Amino acid sequence: MRRSRSALVAAALIAFGPRLAPAQSVGAGFNLERQGNYAGAADAYRLTVASDPTNLSALLGLERVLPQIGRQGELLGLAQRAARMDSTNVDLRALLLRTYVALGEGDSADALVKRWAAASPTSEAPYREWAIALEDQSDLIGARRVLLLGRTKVGRPGVLAIELAELDERSADWEDAAREWALAVAADRRQSAAAASVLDRAPLEQRGAVIKVLTAEGAPAAARRVGATLLLGWHRPDQAWTAFAGTLDAPPVSETAYALREFADRAGAEPTRQGQRVRGLALDRFAALVPPELAVRARMDAAQAFLNARDVAEARPALAKVAGDSTAPAGIRIEAREAVARLEIESGALDSAAAMIAALGEAAGAGVREELSRALARALVNAGALDRAEASLAGDSSVDAMATRGWIALYRGDLVTARRLFRDAGPYAGSREEVTDRVSTIALLYQVSDAKSARLGAGLLALARGDSAAALDTLLRAAAEVDSAGRPVVRLLAGQVAAALGGGRDSLAGALFASVVRSGGNSVAPAAELAWARLLVRQGDAAGAVTHLEHLVLTYPDSALVPEARRELDRAKGAIPKS
Amino acid sequence: MKRRDFVRTLGAGVVLPSVGAFRLGLFASSPHSDTSLLVPMDDAQTDHLKAYGIVYRVVQAGIKSEWLLNYRGGSFLLPDGDAIRRDAALNGVAVEAVDPSRVTAIRGEIEASNADAVPLEKSPKIAVYVPPNDPPWDDAVTMALQYAGIPFDKVWDPEVIGGALHRYDWMHLHHEDFTGQYSKFYLIYPGSGWLRDMVQFNQAAAKQLGFTTVPDLKKAVARGIRDYVSNGGFLFAMCTATETIDLALAAHGVDIAAAFADGSPIDPDCDAKLDWSQAFAFTGAHVEPDPGVASFSDIDGHQVNAPTRRQPLGAFKLFNFSAKIDPVPTMLVQSHRDVIPDFYGLTTSFMRTRLKPADTILADEEGAPWVKYIHGELGKGTWTFFGGHDPEDAQHEIGDPPTDLSLHPHSPGYRLILNNVLFPAAKKKELKT
Repeated sequence: MRRSRSALVAAALIAFGPRLAPAQSVGAGFNLERQGNYAGAADAYRLTVASDPTNLSALLGLERVLPQIGRQGELLGLAQRAARMDSTNVDLRALLLRTYVALGEGDSADALVKRWAAASPTSEAPYREWAIALEDQSDLIGARRVLLLGRTKVGRPGVLAIELAELDERSADWEDAAREWALAVAADRRQSAAAASVLDRAPLEQRGAVIKVLTAEGAPAAARRVGATLLLGWHRPDQAWTAFAGTLDAPPVSETAYALREFADRAGAEPTRQGQRVRGLALDRFAALVPPELAVRARMDAAQAFLNARDVAEARPALAKVAGDSTAPAGIRIEAREAVARLEIESGALDSAAAMIAALGEAAGAGVREELSRALARALVNAGALDRAEASLAGDSSVDAMATRGWIALYRGDLVTARRLFRDAGPYAGSREEVTDRVSTIALLYQVSDAKSARLGAGLLALARGDSAAALDTLLRAAAEVDSAGRPVVRLLAGQVAAALGGGRDSLAGALFASVVRSGGNSVAPAAELAWARLLVRQGDAAGAVTHLEHLVLTYPDSALVPEARRELDRAKGAIPKS
Repeated sequence: MKRRDFVRTLGAGVVLPSVGAFRLGLFASSPHSDTSLLVPMDDAQTDHLKAYGIVYRVVQAGIKSEWLLNYRGGSFLLPDGDAIRRDAALNGVAVEAVDPSRVTAIRGEIEASNADAVPLEKSPKIAVYVPPNDPPWDDAVTMALQYAGIPFDKVWDPEVIGGALHRYDWMHLHHEDFTGQYSKFYLIYPGSGWLRDMVQFNQAAAKQLGFTTVPDLKKAVARGIRDYVSNGGFLFAMCTATETIDLALAAHGVDIAAAFADGSPIDPDCDAKLDWSQAFAFTGAHVEPDPGVASFSDIDGHQVNAPTRRQPLGAFKLFNFSAKIDPVPTMLVQSHRDVIPDFYGLTTSFMRTRLKPADTILADEEGAPWVKYIHGELGKGTWTFFGGHDPEDAQHEIGDPPTDLSLHPHSPGYRLILNNVLFPAAKKKELKT
């Protein structure tokens, strides 16, 4: 309500100020007011009013400055005269009403509102202005009474709902505020964004009540959509979709389509799988309501959202629909087929993926085809199908292919070739995670001087395939086979696998770390000691962990692991709060 | 505390649970007897905050150290020793071994510039005033002490009313609302479980300690803290505690708490009845009479929770004092940065017009009507008020995770807090200059 009054004042200044200022001293009044000379400003405004009794700009100036100098009573006569002279001017009526309220003349205010309401029986303005005036005097109870009276008199359910909602919000009654906003958006759907923006500030404890009101059985569709928007903002996408889905049959279709698009965009900002999934659901429904040219793109976007959510079951039919849609542009159909191929790779259906890539043939660009082939090769490597993986990379001379060939060589136990290929691929191939994996593997390979070790390759492949138990067994055997310089780093890796497996293997992990700390030297021992300390923390032995971390920091001060060890040390001592 | 106790304290687990090398004794096995260790506090320092912990522990061991005010960001000069080097290495604190000739040169530089060397001789015993429940906000001082490894005790109303404060040299207050209105949180967080707990704990404490209302209890606690300072205690307060302790002190016998807190409305003439002679720092303030406005008075310049009054954040600048003439304020502003980004709290800053004439302004925002960091004396003690909640979380909100100081080891805002912790360690005669 305060905003509307400020806007009124600003509008009055813009509309009347420049036109009347030079002749009638309004400009001088503004200047004096800005300087804090309220008495001087009052004189200047009065001068204007003397020659132009209905000059709203000057009257509003007086309304601002007179209370500052304890002369508010002087405004009454001027406001009454102005309202008499221009009896249809709403702004002058409102000014007189505020003056009555400010001076405590409740009966006069009441009479004025009655006259005003009689002249405009369908207008809520008299009650709104009266409530604003009362609120300015901190009479929130009076303001609420007037707004409710206005609603009864005007006779429309949503009348003055926004003003009542603001009052509820001020008294921290968010449930009632939601009730009023539900009425407001039902009466005027353009208020939905404002409703969501205001109710979004509801404290955690009251959000449940707000949602209950907005999404209750029989609540208008606009209110339920506001509830869905709030739920999205509060990171509850599944509930948001449930609330929204209940409004899909509400007419008109164009409005539903628009709301679906908006919902999907908001859900897209939610990075969780659930958020992406409901984005996909919304786009899919959107596609059913819009013309075909928009629908195809929407279905592709829906499929992408499902893929982001790792919801293959939803993504597959959405993509298949686009891929098989003869009316869709060729480019989008191919895009859909490529996406299906990627999906097959990710879900491990490698034979089917290979067939799809072959079927795509020249239709897909060379770059896309190679990228799909490389993704297939990586999946084949991880599945242990090393020969097929190598075949799938035939003719690909990219650094990504080189990196994948490096993994093939490594898993075959050809350490020399793996080292060379990884080094040549450098830090540019693949994602950040792939680069990190490769760099850690290079670090391991450079400590093992053997040219070949089938056992080590097999152990690392088992690890890549997620078979930790087999990996541990194989790595322990590999550690016994490799040359003595490489033994500690393989033992360290085996220890890390054992620690990750946990349970009965913790003692084995501890023994492996201990042996590496004793014999590993500066390059491996710090990592073993850090891993050992973490194992001890996990086992609840903070004191033991502290001993190792302190030993690490003091013994290997130049190790790159020292900052990490200090942080663990702080954690173990409780110097860093848990968050 | 003697050297033997230092070894024992370090082994006791509060600061460093692992004792190994300390059992060797601090100096007995030291091969560095004619060198000293300089703890640089300029940009060469690798962990400014933990450096204070190192110095605290050295002083706690009864070993004299020096604070080189305005020399390389307020560096410290310590005797050399294996245990100190070890402590520094473990904590990632940079130290530089300096031979006697270099020490002489440093002293020469100090003599010739606006710098001074202040002996540190007794580590203060620290109390932090915190409620017994677990409030959902962090406390910058507690976090700084924990991160630096400086031990402290927690005290609350029963300890203050029971007269236990005399056991401590230094006391910290943070988020407490001494007007007894629970920081007016009901306006923003009505129905919250933690707020319910807060009300319950405070009402139970008032009843247990023989007070009719929580505001009455808090006024008595405020007076207890005032007595503690008068008798020689060092008080450091941040956030709401700064403003509300003064309001509570000035309002002895005057109702400034809304009806929800004590069952009776605020005295409409309370402004005229406040006795500011009882307050530490402020005078002539106007109490916020509206229980619906999340503000206590017009002392705070930023009014963070009163939307129509809220002011944006700027940056505050530390004053440059004369180290030789004003060692106390100089100690409190030692930093490697002069200008520090501001941060909100329920009380963020202090209006210049509300300061007492004797207050020393340590930092302000140039051109703004408010200051950030002030200091003064009361009786035999001193107080320091620092506006805002968390120097590394400018918009800290209730429920936010606590700040991880290992990610802010060079925080100049947190340094100011730790200056305060160490300042009572300075030799008494230095403090009295």
